[in-house]
Amino acid sequence: MPGYYDINDILMEEEPIAVVFQVGANGVGLLDPGAETNSVEKGAKVDLPFWLAHELYLRQAVSISIPACFGQKTRKEIQADAACVDLRIRCPYFYELGCKIVPLVSDKSIGPFVRYAFTSRYKEILSKSHSAPVATVPKFLPRLTKEETQLFEAARSSMAAFKKWRVGGSRLEKAPILGRKRKTTFPIRPSTP
Amino acid sequence: MAGQSDPHISIFSAPEVEFLAEDEVVEIVPNIRMESLNMICGDFGPFFPQIPSKVPLWLAAALKKRGKCTIRTPEWMTVERLTQVLEAERESPREFQPLPFHYVEISRLLFDHARDDIPDIYMVRSLIEDIRDVRFHKVETGLETISGRTHAVKLKNLSAMEVNIVRPFMVRALQAFYKHDSPQMIQQADTMGSKRSQGADRGPRRDLRPR
Repeated sequence: MPGYYDINDILMEEEPIAVVFQVGANGVGLLDPGAETNSVEKGAKVDLPFWLAHELYLRQAVSISIPACFGQKTRKEIQADAACVDLRIRCPYFYELGCKIVPLVSDKSIGPFVRYAFTSRYKEILSKSHSAPVATVPKFLPRLTKEETQLFEAARSSMAAFKKWRVGGSRLEKAPILGRKRKTTFPIRPSTP
Repeated sequence: MAGQSDPHISIFSAPEVEFLAEDEVVEIVPNIRMESLNMICGDFGPFFPQIPSKVPLWLAAALKKRGKCTIRTPEWMTVERLTQVLEAERESPREFQPLPFHYVEISRLLFDHARDDIPDIYMVRSLIEDIRDVRFHKVETGLETISGRTHAVKLKNLSAMEVNIVRPFMVRALQAFYKHDSPQMIQQADTMGSKRSQGADRGPRRDLRPR
């Protein structure tokens, strides 16, 4: 869940987003690897990290194009068999990026698409997570995005903890300090004159 | 009260749930005479030989360890009752049978501390395992019905340990569904034809109940 201190939220904002500059910009040639001068022309297509693209979008300096992971190709694959699509290679922060990008683009079908992808992939995670063996890494794990991996791990670790307890895992034990014998010490008082 | 083992997510670890279960009351038959014990949580006893008495499980286990009592098996932990429960669990795929809230933990504590007091211990143990498996399978089929429109999940008669196992997964799943189904994400133009259009008026959310 997004938050200022959430490392995943910070990493998510590093995702490159393709933008089109609506204005020319001087002195920022390093943003565009193909630029010959130290400036970005109006209409140039540049990949920017999400945080920068977002800020520039708010200043109406750029327009954001839809990232490839929400494009038609991915949609077709998700509709064909959602569970088999390797979303991590497309974008490890697929859902988080989807949530952030919806208000910034005119294509309103991204929201339902993200929801559809999650709903159909959720069933696969559910059916495999609680019964997953503890020692081996399942084959489908590398296909999951960050959020899905966390979901999977939540289920797997709680089930593993339960199994460990059932076969005789550790009990709550008393703190070592409570086990000590109490020593009665008589304070030596200075004798009053 | 939240678990102490992991401060970030408020979940209990299995030993913590077991610790809570030790407050459940069981019946013991002491074989010694003893004055009543005055504890912070209440007074227990006085104890007389062969006169049954009710004490919390932790006290029963402590007395048992010292050979001062036998623990009476709770009446739900008999082979007949458990067989009935298992059959009822298998017959009704939609609901859970009423069992003590801490039945998983109590049974394990009794298996560990009072194995000589339980008749047919192997049978009882395997019945409880079977019941737990059947019930957990129901929980999983219930979880499949969670969708973006799930507001809350009703889990009647589910026990402490069972809830504790699914809690991390269920909380994350509900959060994710809630996020993806929020009105900001799903706006009026629903161009993907495969789904119902959900505009600003999405109707009351119905609470699905994984049985």
